[in-house]
Amino acid sequence: MSYSTFNRKHFDSTKEPMFFGENVNVARYDQQKHPIFEKLIEKQLSFFWRPEEVDLSTDRKDFQRLEAHEQHIFLSNLKYQTLLDSVQGRSPNVAFLPIVSLPELETWIETWSFSETIHSRSYTHIIRNIVNDPTKIFDDIVTNEEITKRADSVSIYYDRLIEMVNIYNTMGTGTFNIPGKGDIKISMPALKKALYLTIASVNVLEAIRFYVSFACSFGFAERTLMEGNAKIIKLIARDEALHLTGTQHMLNLMASGKDDPEMAIIATECKDEMRDIFIEAAEQEKEWANYLFKDGSMIGLNAQILGQYVEYITNVRMQAVGLEPHFATKNNPIPWINAWLVSDNVQVAPQEAEISSYLVGQTDNSLDDSDFDDFDL
Amino acid sequence: MTSTSNPKTPIQDAPVHRVLLGKKQILVTENEPLLVQLERAGIPVEYQCREGYCSSCSIKLLRGQVIYPFEPLAWVQSGYLLACCAIVKSDIEIAFFD
Ligand code: FES
Ligand SMILES: [Fe+2]
Ligand SMILES: [Fe+2]
Repeated sequence: MSYSTFNRKHFDSTKEPMFFGENVNVARYDQQKHPIFEKLIEKQLSFFWRPEEVDLSTDRKDFQRLEAHEQHIFLSNLKYQTLLDSVQGRSPNVAFLPIVSLPELETWIETWSFSETIHSRSYTHIIRNIVNDPTKIFDDIVTNEEITKRADSVSIYYDRLIEMVNIYNTMGTGTFNIPGKGDIKISMPALKKALYLTIASVNVLEAIRFYVSFACSFGFAERTLMEGNAKIIKLIARDEALHLTGTQHMLNLMASGKDDPEMAIIATECKDEMRDIFIEAAEQEKEWANYLFKDGSMIGLNAQILGQYVEYITNVRMQAVGLEPHFATKNNPIPWINAWLVSDNVQVAPQEAEISSYLVGQTDNSLDDSDFDDFDL
Repeated sequence: MTSTSNPKTPIQDAPVHRVLLGKKQILVTENEPLLVQLERAGIPVEYQCREGYCSSCSIKLLRGQVIYPFEPLAWVQSGYLLACCAIVKSDIEIAFFD
């Protein structure tokens, strides 16, 4: 089952599953099994931006005037985001490209991961601007216990999948004794399970783990502080919204059985484990909020409010992949954040002419007047 | 936004639909997506992109029918609608988290 950079077989790629079918050969986009990934590529390309375009000169002065505990909040979030995008700038490529089977999905993965490298570059841009010695900040990412704890949870599923695929590509299926690791069983269901859980953990990374940090950045900007940073975070958040949609599509397509019937069975089997991934991440993010605010809060935000926000956003994300919301928080405790998250700088041409040509979200029951009897207009 | 560029049709000329949300009832037209009309009625809805690609505005559609002028990039779960881009086409009943 070794990987080939140009599969010589002649086959119809629109009949392949998203993953673990044939290796992709011709990079063609005129026909697609899942056109959504082609659309995500186009959207991501339309989002292209460069960190250097954002002027940060005022942020430098702002940062010097922040209180020590506020600097701690700002820098810690920057470190955590740097960690997340370091992982995301490479891992979709390393983990998913060797097993992807659709050209449009292969290119989406590359486009997605590339956009994460822009995020990483923007952190260097920000850090260089506010401190004299960036090395101190970057070094702390690999030594700070609060950050490395998080590095473990964001990389564990990726690393296991990569290891299993490596074994599979050299040895095929079977049980193999790996020095230092013991027996590892490689079967197609085991590989697919590892893949499904990895995508779930990536969805959590993009859809939940960034949001405490986003909230703090916008919290500063609400006080007209660190506004250049907020501008960059807005651009990052816009990209992340697309990435989380990409992973939601993968998860939902898998669970639907429309892509690969065996994947649907695995998705059902993994439901509890996937739930746990969401809940565990939310708990870690709440803990992170406690760490951020250990020496003091900032106006409008504290650990408790951020904890509630984490619970709320986790509910939203769970629902989007067909899980029952887990937390009791049913309202957004910081609704002002949405005005910052909205991508007001992108105008998409309306296609009103096509109204009525696309129909979803229809349910059988219709309402009659008796449903409204009790209400005043 | 896709809808705000529309010339506004006077409300009496446009079809009006009722939106039932718990004990509340709101009247909406087909001129704009549901989200802006709920907001105008003082009902906050979670959102992020307002362009159909982030799924944050997903709410339960218990009954009735909506359409999308353009296909949203976000996955629309069955039994849900995306408020930022859904056009209401009949009386509907919706719900947030229970
Ligand atoms: S607000 Fe993003 S899909 Fe509606
Ligand atoms: Fe990113
Ligand atoms: Fe991302």
